[in-house]
Amino acid sequence: MAITSFSFLTLVLAAAVLYRLLPQSARWWALLAASLVFYAAGGAAAMAYLAVTAVSTYAAALLLQRENDRRRAMEEDKRRETRKRYDRRRRLVVGAAGLMNFGMLFAIKYWDAAVQGLSGLPTLGLVVPVGISFYIFQSIGYVIDVSRGKIKAERNFPRYLLFVCFFPQMVQGPIDRFGHLAPQLYAGRAPGAEEVRDGIQLMMWGFFKKLVIASRAGIVVDAVYGDAGAYPGCASVFAVLMYTIQLYCDFSGGIDIVRGVAGIFGIDMAENFRRPIFSLSLAEFWRRWHMTLGAWMRDYVFYPLSLSRACAALGRFSRKRLGGMFGRILPTSLATFIVYFIIGIWHGANLTFLAFGLYNGIIITASILLAPLYGKVKTALRIREESAWYRAFCMARTCFAVFIGRYLTRAPWLKMSLVMLKRSVFDLHLRQLPATVLGLGMSGGDCAVVAAGCAVLLAVEFLQERGVKIRKTLAERSPFVQWLAMIIPLAVILLFGIIGNGGGAGEFIYGRI
Amino acid sequence: MNDVDKLIEILNTVCPDVDFEAETNLVEDGILTSLDIVMIVSELMAAYDVRLDIDDLVPENFENAGTIYELIQKAKGN
Repeated sequence: MAITSFSFLTLVLAAAVLYRLLPQSARWWALLAASLVFYAAGGAAAMAYLAVTAVSTYAAALLLQRENDRRRAMEEDKRRETRKRYDRRRRLVVGAAGLMNFGMLFAIKYWDAAVQGLSGLPTLGLVVPVGISFYIFQSIGYVIDVSRGKIKAERNFPRYLLFVCFFPQMVQGPIDRFGHLAPQLYAGRAPGAEEVRDGIQLMMWGFFKKLVIASRAGIVVDAVYGDAGAYPGCASVFAVLMYTIQLYCDFSGGIDIVRGVAGIFGIDMAENFRRPIFSLSLAEFWRRWHMTLGAWMRDYVFYPLSLSRACAALGRFSRKRLGGMFGRILPTSLATFIVYFIIGIWHGANLTFLAFGLYNGIIITASILLAPLYGKVKTALRIREESAWYRAFCMARTCFAVFIGRYLTRAPWLKMSLVMLKRSVFDLHLRQLPATVLGLGMSGGDCAVVAAGCAVLLAVEFLQERGVKIRKTLAERSPFVQWLAMIIPLAVILLFGIIGNGGGAGEFIYGRI
Repeated sequence: MNDVDKLIEILNTVCPDVDFEAETNLVEDGILTSLDIVMIVSELMAAYDVRLDIDDLVPENFENAGTIYELIQKAKGN
């Protein structure tokens, strides 16, 4: 069930009505029922995978909670004495839950690609269910948080199941935390009229990004990538630019819809994007893009890896042997590199994503290692970091680095990415651009709509970046202006949105991850 | 040089652009990133010969020089 479909909106409406009708303590049942209906539409296999994750992480968390409770009841001396045994058990339970769930994810998503070309190993041909990476990451995060004693395990299985499969987040996240999301899911709070209005406005903003911009930009992307050899380099540049726009509007638009739907139920889901176009570096870009995955990687991979005994040993070695700044930051740089490498693989079982992870990891690691040198150059050239032109330069540099990285993620094969990149440099034929673009299924009007849509998006994000609260500002205006703020976006979506199957309107790129 | 001055000197070697004497909300204001925190932690572990745990990596322990100092004292006590 696509979240841009009429059936999804009907489900949201039915769930919202049921939610209001039920007494406060029972309202979470309405959310669970809607979530199960939504996910059941994905088929029996999808439900079975969901059940494996929900049951295994529920049981693991209960075991961990029992260990934590026992330990808490011990005397201080006894606690110190049994610490190693406790840590071992804790790691065993977390490891078993991780192995089961990431093993399942590997089998479904990566096995066929891994054994391709190897004789004797069969392929499984399993269909990747929507959002499996997201709910597995969210559930494993819950298990780790319980093991660290940050939260208490949920004993009521249906309530826990709701946390795992809350329906708006099942397509492409965000990857929320139990401590943030679950209390809101169970509270059964009826949101006020303002919250419902804000939720609807956020949904419409998401539909605008997805249906007006992303789906239209996707037409060119599909055409060029469908037959990349047939077009000159300028078509590759234009297609990758459109893909960069499509990916942002598709993913962030989908998240806006999800957060808007949750807002209708009075639930504030985790923020996933903070205007990444204004990033001054690639590292900052990744802190503003898919923030919940970044936070997950930080808390459950980067921190443990950086504080591991292996990293500490490497740190001691590098300080002693290499000395200076380089020796000090080498272990952290290595941990950073590993994290970006994992993020790359997380995006897909393909060499292109491996290259994408390496590309980001190398640039960010190099920028850490070269930071002292940059500092000296800036001092020598008397560059003021806070000056507007330098910030503009950094933003342009980051956008360029992101743009080049996008060459790697859309093509089905790495060779195709590299050929397109080579053509963009050595076989550009810029004069052929207008005729080429119009031959890719996008009319002049479509180009104008994408350009105007991007201008609106940029203007809104620029204001937000400067601290303007747009929805709050609108809410302070007269009722007439407030109605216009609802009707005009709706009219724009209905008039200019690609609704239906064209341009992949029902699908989300990150929904396939 | 007292203990806090020594700590600030160490912190300045990791993040020379940050004013550790004046800033009070280093994490909340986005001055320190997760990368800075990990670099600070590895520097502190080497300088004070203490072991910091994953549970210590919470924003409130790194908001200012005072909270970082308390973290070190706690780790020394353990």
